[in-house]
Amino acid sequence: MAYAYLFKYIIIGDTGVGKSCLLLQFTDKRFQPVHDLTIGVEFGARMITIDGKQIKLQIWDTAGQESFRSITRSYYRGAAGALLVYDITRRDTFNHLTTWLEDARQHSNSNMVIMLIGNKSDLESRREVKKEEGEAFAREHGLIFMETSAKTASNVEEAFINTAKEIYEKIQEGVFDINNEANGIKIGPQHAATNASLSGSQGGHTSGGCC
Amino acid sequence: MASQEEENVTEVQEPAPGDSCGPLEDEPATVTRKRPEAKLPSDVTSAEQQVPKDVEKAGLLWEKDSDPSAISPTGWGYLGSWGKSLMSTASATVATVGQGISTAIEKAETSLGIPSPSELTVDRQGNPEAETSDAAKENESSSPISGAFGVFSSITTAVQNTGKSVLSGGLDALEFIGKKTMDVIAEGDPGFKKTKGLMNRNSTLSQILREAKEKEEQQISDMVSVDSEKKAHYGLFFDDFLGLSHLEALELLSQESEAKVTCIVSALPGKELESLKPELEQLKEAFSLVEFEEEEEEEEREGTKDFAHELAGLFAELHIATKPEKVVRARKAAYEWMAGLNSESEQEDKHGETTVVQSDHRTSVEDIHSFAIRSQAELTAYSIEMFHKTAALVLYCEKQDATALERAKALSQITILMCKELSSLTKQITTHLTAAGVKEKSDVLNPLITTVFLEASNSASYIQDAFQLLLPVLQLSHVQACAEPAEQ
Repeated sequence: MAYAYLFKYIIIGDTGVGKSCLLLQFTDKRFQPVHDLTIGVEFGARMITIDGKQIKLQIWDTAGQESFRSITRSYYRGAAGALLVYDITRRDTFNHLTTWLEDARQHSNSNMVIMLIGNKSDLESRREVKKEEGEAFAREHGLIFMETSAKTASNVEEAFINTAKEIYEKIQEGVFDINNEANGIKIGPQHAATNASLSGSQGGHTSGGCC
Repeated sequence: MASQEEENVTEVQEPAPGDSCGPLEDEPATVTRKRPEAKLPSDVTSAEQQVPKDVEKAGLLWEKDSDPSAISPTGWGYLGSWGKSLMSTASATVATVGQGISTAIEKAETSLGIPSPSELTVDRQGNPEAETSDAAKENESSSPISGAFGVFSSITTAVQNTGKSVLSGGLDALEFIGKKTMDVIAEGDPGFKKTKGLMNRNSTLSQILREAKEKEEQQISDMVSVDSEKKAHYGLFFDDFLGLSHLEALELLSQESEAKVTCIVSALPGKELESLKPELEQLKEAFSLVEFEEEEEEEEREGTKDFAHELAGLFAELHIATKPEKVVRARKAAYEWMAGLNSESEQEDKHGETTVVQSDHRTSVEDIHSFAIRSQAELTAYSIEMFHKTAALVLYCEKQDATALERAKALSQITILMCKELSSLTKQITTHLTAAGVKEKSDVLNPLITTVFLEASNSASYIQDAFQLLLPVLQLSHVQACAEPAEQ
């Protein structure tokens, strides 16, 4: 339970691109093909290890529906990382990326690490957006890029963890002011990970464990 | 930073016997607190365990020699009124349970050494220097925390103010105990800190809760011994049930709404503003009803209505597209668990021993205690989630099927209902706890029981604070609903 850092993530993108499924795959290691529409925001948390340090990811999974947009904007504040997700089988979700990116940049801090994710890579036969297009968009806007499949779990761990690594590096470089919580980073309780009695939390949603 | 409140407490406690400093000595929040003489099963909860006796005492005294109307309401925040009713409940339960416990409480009372009102006054007058030095000590010890978090100082200020108003209003024993209890709660318990912080508006509720939780985590990670009790940490449970996250999200929505309301209202022409003002005022009033109603209705409503049914009815009045299923499910599970305890004891009865429940009961007091804390945290977290979802949906709906005022009233009733439910759940659990712990030493059982009551009181105040966060949200929805016809 004790961690060295806590990072706040948000997951954004059009409705139906698989945001909640990515989160579920990451936190619970399972896939649920039918998912209720997210109201406002849902949460997930998981502990990961980077550079020998326990890092808790607190993930805000936002509603993708257009009509929720004004609400979800409120949730951007204080996020250290964002996963911007589109669906490789739906061109329109890719076309909306610019709007999402503007929104994210406007409502969060400038240092926020943004990972672009082309989800549903298992549906190769229905692909509408080439991988190269995703890569090009990411390059152009200074994002990290990955194609994932929440269904097969391909690259899901990597997407969350690589984002954390990037944030961690920024901390090491002194880019982030970790004492300012508006950056979405919190320093955990000291004496982190020193003894076994840390298992004081019975997590329904916090599926602990290292990677 | 020197607070009369703190001085006073220190002063009273100093001469008390058994004043030893435990492993938490460097813990600013507990530094002046007298540790109980009891050998506690674990030091993890020491901060909490110091609280119980004071609280119970307050409860007992309350019943014995007080006229409730004599209490000045100013010293009690809305937590106070909830806490109060819970405490009287606590003492009622405890009193009926057995002599062992009341003896223990008396012992606790004696060891606490609360002075009579006259003593107190003399003390205060006669010993100003001691006060100052204690205050200085207090100041020193608490500064690292305020440095680190920047919120505790605001809490202290709140404490100071409370203390002052109480002292200047004439100091009788009851006020003193009430104040002391508040202080004890404030020191032992994150929730109360949060309440004060919230009242001061210098920091956010979730921030304080998070800090409190981190402190708990810290304490746990400091512990080497393995003890079942360390599991029963309200803050950790609360976070596990995502209460903290939903609270943070609700806060963001609340702040955003508040900013938008201010923005819209300031842009309104004078005439429209004049007509809007009383409406917003009315809305605000609907949010202040909670504390008045709960006491009057306390007795009569108890157990008369089915909780799930009542909640569903109130929730329907909100006209939003979600149902409070999690709350209902969590509550049901809690009662089922307790029903399991009942059948355990019945089985034992059949085996012929005695009608008294045996202490070799299969479920230990620690288990029940842990269950109690967990259930409280779960219900509270889900209530806050319910409020958060309500906020999101109220803001989301463009067409409003209910007016903001109607929703405010329904939400206020829901808040009351949830707090009552927590209170009656707590009552039941503690009955089980006392039954199971009848052979335990009272110094083991008592702290357990009282932390349960304490967390019930905290839970109620979390829920009420979360409820308050809905005000700007409803104001915004009202302002927007008013603006729409004008645009057409």
